[in-house]
Amino acid sequence: MTDTNNNLQWWLGLADVLGHGVQHGAAQLKRVHLSVADEAFQVLDTIPVTRPASRIVRAFHHGISTLSYDSVSLAGRAAVGLAGVTSSTGVASRTDDESMNKS
Amino acid sequence: MVVSVSAGKIRQHISAIASGFLGDWLEARGNGLAVPMTVFAGGKVLDADNPELAEPGSTLCLSLHGLMELESVWDFPGRAKEHYGSQLARALGDTSALKLRFNSGRPIYRNGQDLADLMERLVVDWPVPVKRVILLGHSMGGLLVRSACYYGSAKGHSWVGKSLDCVYIGSPHDGSWLAIGAHKAAGKLNKVPRDYVKVVGEVIDLRSEGIRNLSRGEVFEPGTEEQPLLSGARHFAVSGLLVKSERHPVNVWFGDALVHRSSAHGVRRQGWELTGKVNFPGVDHVRLARHPIVSKQLQEWLV
Repeated sequence: MTDTNNNLQWWLGLADVLGHGVQHGAAQLKRVHLSVADEAFQVLDTIPVTRPASRIVRAFHHGISTLSYDSVSLAGRAAVGLAGVTSSTGVASRTDDESMNKS
Repeated sequence: MVVSVSAGKIRQHISAIASGFLGDWLEARGNGLAVPMTVFAGGKVLDADNPELAEPGSTLCLSLHGLMELESVWDFPGRAKEHYGSQLARALGDTSALKLRFNSGRPIYRNGQDLADLMERLVVDWPVPVKRVILLGHSMGGLLVRSACYYGSAKGHSWVGKSLDCVYIGSPHDGSWLAIGAHKAAGKLNKVPRDYVKVVGEVIDLRSEGIRNLSRGEVFEPGTEEQPLLSGARHFAVSGLLVKSERHPVNVWFGDALVHRSSAHGVRRQGWELTGKVNFPGVDHVRLARHPIVSKQLQEWLV
């Protein structure tokens, strides 16, 4: 492999990692954001006076948040696609989601 | 003083850190950041199948770095190309000082298997008959030495039959408190029924197989019984402590920053017979790889 090729592979590799970071980072941030917000909405939901309004606000809040985070996540996914790094074992989709979140 | 770091060096360090965190995943994806296993002699890459050196010695001294490190971790600050291996080579004579670079995020046993094969190719193809092999492992590198010895012996490799010295410098044979802590924290956080807590656990869980192996000092393939130290070889253990006063609470809690003395000496390992072991209070984990006092001890043991 030539130096130029190595160079390119390195930058593509970096783009792949950063793209995954953005994709998965946005998804995780969305979970944190929505679950923290739900703590407050659950309290408002127990109060009869605030319940109807809080449910509407919650639906808007969650909808807009989800749309925003998913857009960022999609951009990360696109970066990964553009980087074009492919799995050497042919199980890229598995390693993407499972290896990044193994327990 | 102006410190200049080349772009190439920065890239190498980024690769080493990324490989340490996600090395197994990077390798599975064929990602260009994954560090391939490479031998260096005098700062240049050495082809293990066709090793060409100006003056090949009959003793090979190979230095193995730790997690997220590069071979440069061995270099004494401000003294280019000066490291334990080069100092031993000078004192012993007829010795070639080599360094290894590897993907520290891969499972240790897989690196051990590859290193055993690489050592065999190196010894078989070495320009002069090899009489002695010295392996210096810092941190995870020490665990890799143990793994390679086991797999080399299991495969009947010739290099394990040479006069063999293994030195484990700050190696977490019984695990590193930080890796153990990360493992426990992730487990506990993942059980909390709150998404915002679980996410923290999942982020901690992103760590590579190599890091996971460090929590218990695992060096063999899963399912393999605990193996003793390679018989016929000499084994030495070096540990450090953050503070000079040995019984200082900081030392009790953190050891050399990452590894406790007991773990570096493999106290919990069954049937271990170390040829020598030493502890250096006041020398932290990273400085163990390039400290004059450690160098002096290595000379006493190996020369």
